[in-house]
Amino acid sequence: MDIGALGVYFSLFIGLYFEVFLLISFLERHPTQKTPQLPTHYPRVSMLVPVWNEEKTIATTLESLLALDYPQDKLEVLVIDDGSTDKTRTVTEHYIAQLPQQERSRVRMLHKENGGKWTALNMGIEHSTSELIGCLDADSFVAPDALLEMIKKFENDHSVMAISPAMKVFRPKKLLELMQAVEYTFGIFYKKMFDNLAALNVLPGPFSMYRREVFTKIGLFKHAHNTEDMEIAFRMHSRGLKIVNAHTAFVYTTVPSTLRTLIKQRVRWSQGFLQNSQDYSYMYFNPRFGNFGMLILPFGLTALFAGLYTAFYALFHLVSYVGGRALDMWVTRIPPHLPTFSHFDWFYLNTSMLTFLIVATLLLTFLGIMLGQGMAQTRLSAKSFLSYFALFGFVAPVWLARAVWGAVRSKESSWR
Amino acid sequence: MTWQKYILAFVITGAIFGTAFYIAARIDSQRIADIRAAEESISIDILSSETQFQLLGNLDCQTISQNPVLQSELGSLAGRLSVSEANLGSDNAEVVYLKKQYSLLEIKDYLLMQQIAQKCNLKPVFVLYFYSNAGDCADCARAGDVLTYIRNQYPGLRVYSFDYNLDLSALKTLASLRTLNGGLPAFIINNRPPVYGFKTLDELEALIPELKTLATSTPKTSAGE
Repeated sequence: MDIGALGVYFSLFIGLYFEVFLLISFLERHPTQKTPQLPTHYPRVSMLVPVWNEEKTIATTLESLLALDYPQDKLEVLVIDDGSTDKTRTVTEHYIAQLPQQERSRVRMLHKENGGKWTALNMGIEHSTSELIGCLDADSFVAPDALLEMIKKFENDHSVMAISPAMKVFRPKKLLELMQAVEYTFGIFYKKMFDNLAALNVLPGPFSMYRREVFTKIGLFKHAHNTEDMEIAFRMHSRGLKIVNAHTAFVYTTVPSTLRTLIKQRVRWSQGFLQNSQDYSYMYFNPRFGNFGMLILPFGLTALFAGLYTAFYALFHLVSYVGGRALDMWVTRIPPHLPTFSHFDWFYLNTSMLTFLIVATLLLTFLGIMLGQGMAQTRLSAKSFLSYFALFGFVAPVWLARAVWGAVRSKESSWR
Repeated sequence: MTWQKYILAFVITGAIFGTAFYIAARIDSQRIADIRAAEESISIDILSSETQFQLLGNLDCQTISQNPVLQSELGSLAGRLSVSEANLGSDNAEVVYLKKQYSLLEIKDYLLMQQIAQKCNLKPVFVLYFYSNAGDCADCARAGDVLTYIRNQYPGLRVYSFDYNLDLSALKTLASLRTLNGGLPAFIINNRPPVYGFKTLDELEALIPELKTLATSTPKTSAGE
């Protein structure tokens, strides 16, 4: 047997194990449907919008925040300009100026020297007084009822300290956007399952909400290798603070549409995971931190390296095969020709154990996406599925490899 | 945190692996059964031709020469055997048994065709090809590629390939009758002395001048014509 294939079998075992685990969690506790029930109490909410060169999207982001279905006197919006060098400041000020007086008083703009998103968020927290604090990246837009859905979660369980939303891709059109639309839909499913396991690993920039006491208990955001939204989730777990997911609170986010920007974003995420993992290594395989320490963290790390191994293994075999065939043709002097297939013969189909395991993994992934689709109340196109299954396996190893390389060199990833 | 869920997920994942192994093994068994059925069918064809030959002698050469086992059937069987060999391993007992049976069928077909050719004044082109896949013949795979290409070009060419290391007395007898010295790959073309070593496409075609007498599968369109 090919010894190298053992690594692929191991990777598939890990992948299947994780998917099975999530499906068991799903069967144990189905996600609840959205209800028309309203909160009994409307706490004051400050929505922080850190911006750096977001002139194109900031107005739409603010528009979506002001359109939130929430009492106007209970919601304030703080735009924190982190030293933008484009027209973000002018665009935002102009947008605020043209608002009706009543709405204008709800929006404030703060300015600071460029210091990174985490510093902008911290400035926003310090300048706000509300009981609840939300964050919204300026490239994202919230559904009108998203805040209400979150408030209900806070109201139903007073031990909940932070809530992550259900993220969808904003108007996907290009191939890579369609690919990410499927990926995010799958994410809606597995994030909810992480919630079932009390093991959410990130509080994403687009519309996560916190009780103010989170910051008084564990401190403000940190640089955290440019992944402050991940680090704060790690820190909250380390201090036993509860994070849940509001799968009915939808937020739409714009995603990278080019390979270069996508890889840059994902390198930041993956490298952030590796470096935060190093900082919080004591949580790994530590039953004190529940499923987060026993399953989510170890799986995330193993999946990263297993994915890389499988990709390199496949690449090595592909290059060996193509190179070998080319060399054979050169040595034998056989002219290039296509193999002749007179008729279909099942005999020559690859029906190895590996093939069936890959099919099982893909089927479970597909099932997860379909469940996510049901939860997201969305419908993915065939083209989206095609782009996901055809492209993801090729592009993901690129950012994984670069993230590992960056982490090994202890080099900081960049934002854009 | 519930340990039962961790164990249950492990059991289910193990079950998926077990199922994948079982399905793959069942399909491999089915493949072996298919090869065996094909060998039995070819065996009956050869026996039928032999019997027909004995019954008719050289009285009806046209009927006889049309009936012997088609080279394409043996070629198809060889392809299937090599798939099973790759899947199950060359030392798999079932594969070794089927290869022996296949080699015997080849030898029988070869002998029968020689008799028919002699009695009916036919001029078939035979290539006996001896190879090894035990890791001691680096050029055998490429030599096999060249031969496969030529056979595809000239469907009338009768190629009989033999695993030199197969423990089969009839094969060893054939090898010794043809005075093979153990060098591989080895080609015996139309009963001429063995030719050893890897040959490129051009070299091998030059070694078989009789190819010109055979029809090609597709009209040649090369600029050199």
